[in-house]
Amino acid sequence: MRSNVKRTLQVFAVLLLGVGVFFLYLDKAFPRVRCEGAHLSVPEKYADCVSCHAKSTARATQDWKESKHGAMLVKCVVCHGEPDGKGSIPFSANPDPATICARCHDPAMQRMAAKFGGSADCNTCHPRHQNPLHSDAYQHKAPSGKTSF
Amino acid sequence: MTVSRREFLIGSAAALALGMVGSAPRAAAAGKKESVDRWVKGVCRYCGTGCGVLVGVRGDRAVAVKGDPNNHNAGLLCLKGAMLIPVIYAGDRITEPMIRRGGKGSPLTKVSWDEALDFAADAFRKALDAGGPDAVAYYGSGQAPTEESYLANKIWKAGFRTNNVDGNPRLCMASAVAGYLTTFGKDEPMGTYNDMDTATCFFIIGSNTSEAHPVLFRRIAQRKENSPDVKIIVADPRRTNTSRIADLHMSFIAGTDLALLNGMAHVIIREELDNPRFYGRYVNFVTNDGKPCAFEDYKAFLAEYTPEKVQEITGVPAADVIRAAKFFAESSSTLSLWCMGINQRTRGVWANNLIHNLHLLTGQIGRPGASPLSLTGQPNACGGVRDTGSLAHLLPAGRMVANEKHRAEMEEFWGVPKGTIQPKIGHHTVALFEAMAKGTVRAVFIHCTNPAHTLPDLNALTKGLETAFVAQTECFMDAETLKYADVVFPAAFWCETDGVCGCTERRYALTEQAIKPMGNCRPTVQILMDFAERAGVDPKLFPYRTAADIWEEWRTLSKGSPYDFYGMTRARLKRESGIKWPCPAEDHPGTNLRYVRGEDPLVPANHPDRLFFYGRPDGRANIFLRPHQPPFEPADKEYPFVLTTGRVIDHWHTATMTGKVPELQKAYPSAFVEINPDDAKKLGVSNGDRVVLETRRDKMTFPARITDTCMPGLVFCPFFDKNKLVNRLFHHAVDNTSKEPEYKICATKVYKQA
Ligand code: SF4
Repeated sequence: MRSNVKRTLQVFAVLLLGVGVFFLYLDKAFPRVRCEGAHLSVPEKYADCVSCHAKSTARATQDWKESKHGAMLVKCVVCHGEPDGKGSIPFSANPDPATICARCHDPAMQRMAAKFGGSADCNTCHPRHQNPLHSDAYQHKAPSGKTSF
Repeated sequence: MTVSRREFLIGSAAALALGMVGSAPRAAAAGKKESVDRWVKGVCRYCGTGCGVLVGVRGDRAVAVKGDPNNHNAGLLCLKGAMLIPVIYAGDRITEPMIRRGGKGSPLTKVSWDEALDFAADAFRKALDAGGPDAVAYYGSGQAPTEESYLANKIWKAGFRTNNVDGNPRLCMASAVAGYLTTFGKDEPMGTYNDMDTATCFFIIGSNTSEAHPVLFRRIAQRKENSPDVKIIVADPRRTNTSRIADLHMSFIAGTDLALLNGMAHVIIREELDNPRFYGRYVNFVTNDGKPCAFEDYKAFLAEYTPEKVQEITGVPAADVIRAAKFFAESSSTLSLWCMGINQRTRGVWANNLIHNLHLLTGQIGRPGASPLSLTGQPNACGGVRDTGSLAHLLPAGRMVANEKHRAEMEEFWGVPKGTIQPKIGHHTVALFEAMAKGTVRAVFIHCTNPAHTLPDLNALTKGLETAFVAQTECFMDAETLKYADVVFPAAFWCETDGVCGCTERRYALTEQAIKPMGNCRPTVQILMDFAERAGVDPKLFPYRTAADIWEEWRTLSKGSPYDFYGMTRARLKRESGIKWPCPAEDHPGTNLRYVRGEDPLVPANHPDRLFFYGRPDGRANIFLRPHQPPFEPADKEYPFVLTTGRVIDHWHTATMTGKVPELQKAYPSAFVEINPDDAKKLGVSNGDRVVLETRRDKMTFPARITDTCMPGLVFCPFFDKNKLVNRLFHHAVDNTSKEPEYKICATKVYKQA
């Protein structure tokens, strides 16, 4: 009987350690965002970020969708990189404007710098994801189906 | 049980170790800014938008890409262009020549350059001895730089003396070429991207601009944002992301667009929105079989295309047909944009003519913002293949093989004896692969394209690749065509060599060499010359050292032709981010409005009319009386759905490049089939279910994606996935004139996999 209890405790301790190690692994391998660990085992079931983030970070996702980047299908990974860090762009929840924004908006950034003296962070004046179109050009007629999200 | 737990723990510990090893350098990379030694100018490797890029080089490595602020894209890139670097350093780059010693099916083995070149040259010499000049062929690409296509065209037509020179633009742009030629007498559009900034109406038909030409879509959207009164009409059986900015979306039954276009012309005339002053001066009316006729005949011909009849044929509400026609004709400047939905059709040339008709009928042409602008799919189909005449029926700068005078001009310029260029038109693409299967074409040189993935009716047409000797230049090991190659030449990739590309808007731009070719790769012009010399072509035909020498010759040849770009010296192309031809002199800024007096240098300054369609003998363009005709294989009782193909934004062509970028590959790892929710309900299919598409050629299984992007009765599969070669399902019927296959429509059964 006592040996049974001891054995159960041993197994329990080992299990606890295993779970700890597993979560430590997830934390290291998938910085901040753990979607890769969650559901991407079968290639055909890979999802784009939006399908999960529409639930987990609904506000940011909706903002993006209504923004110019959303309308143009400039997807999450273009600025943030792959959450597993295995992509071509280093993953970052807060992409560095000097490298990431500049890849497309370098001319505008230079114009801004000349006009206003520049800012280290584009997002101070252009809040991230919140760059909706000033007219309603993009808001009516959105197809309810998804083409590429 | 205990054992499995232990295994789990061991596995977790191992994973932890791996995770930490893997994440350490990533963490370092995340904090580091991209520092570059120099930025080298070029154009994006992918689509026909032709965005300017700057490649950032550190040491001897390319490390970053950003948009060129001085090119038409004003510094912007789409997600593909922004992530080009990993493609250069893909793990499966081919860096050594390889041959298949034991014939088809045996393994490819690495050999020296000499051995590979001799191996290919021997096979070509044997083919020439056995079957004469027409036993060899070249199959090129709208992705190869201009210098490579020009050189190959010259080697095959004047060296091997065969006109069996064709390429993938036949599968892509041929109908647009024939459309421009038949209507205006000369190929290539008269407008440019600048028209997008001034147009007040956009008519987008058969194009998912948002995913296939994203940076152009952004420019159109910007126009709409700045001036919300600008009208955007999108006509496409699929309601794609492009329709997101549309004022009017018309989902027509696939293959009925000819009726729709004639219906719009009918309304324009009925509502007196036509422009008699314009067409009275600049237009001839021509019957479908090429006979001259009058406006009244055209009006009578259109009588049957009432909006109600058009609704019956196309499924588009009559009111929308009227609205579209009014938007088109009432706007101060209308810009039409179209792409593969119009071109890849058995009546693709007619569909092109019908778009031009609308512009000529309303005078929406030859003014800023008013133009029919055909979008092209590849970075250099226009400049490299169309302009250099690297197709079976063409010679450089708008000349035709069948024209004796044109042949004589080229023979004189190339310094070859009279009669060298054969008068017989070579095999167009589909005929070429059929001839290879029959054994009449015994050896083919395939450059910079992947036909075993992109040809239609693959089960039938890849027989040609199984039969003929195939020499191929290729950069990536996962290209489907490699399975058939007898010799593989590792070509330098994109910014590892220099070359000019000409995009949709007649803009030629130079990609400069940024880095050294990887491993043992060589520039293709070098490969072509070494190969041709060993295969017995007189080396006097190609006295070049570099691609720049070839450009010099081609630039000189263009002088005085309707494609005149003599003013684009290599030095100027290095300084400037693309120039639009005609550009006859070094101090000429390039041309925005072709055929327009005061804009186009080829229109005499004292020409009596403002417009001069100098490609036509009488200077007038043609309005053709082209009737509606159904596609080759419409849906029927047995095969009740229409299958169509296309692109997704994340991948380009056969994904041998975009598949190497983790972000792009993960966004779309494999092909799927889009099904309308109503159809899905009837078929009992839900999202992710495996669905069989069965056509008269073959059947394949795809995971279902239920979305109202497709209208009922239509299913869509992207074609990028090498593991799901959807082109196996298509027939290979071609357009009578352009010989372009109909990738956009075939009949299919759709059912859930048992
Ligand atoms: S739009 Fe086309 S040319 Fe421009 S960056 Fe994207 S893929 Fe490249």
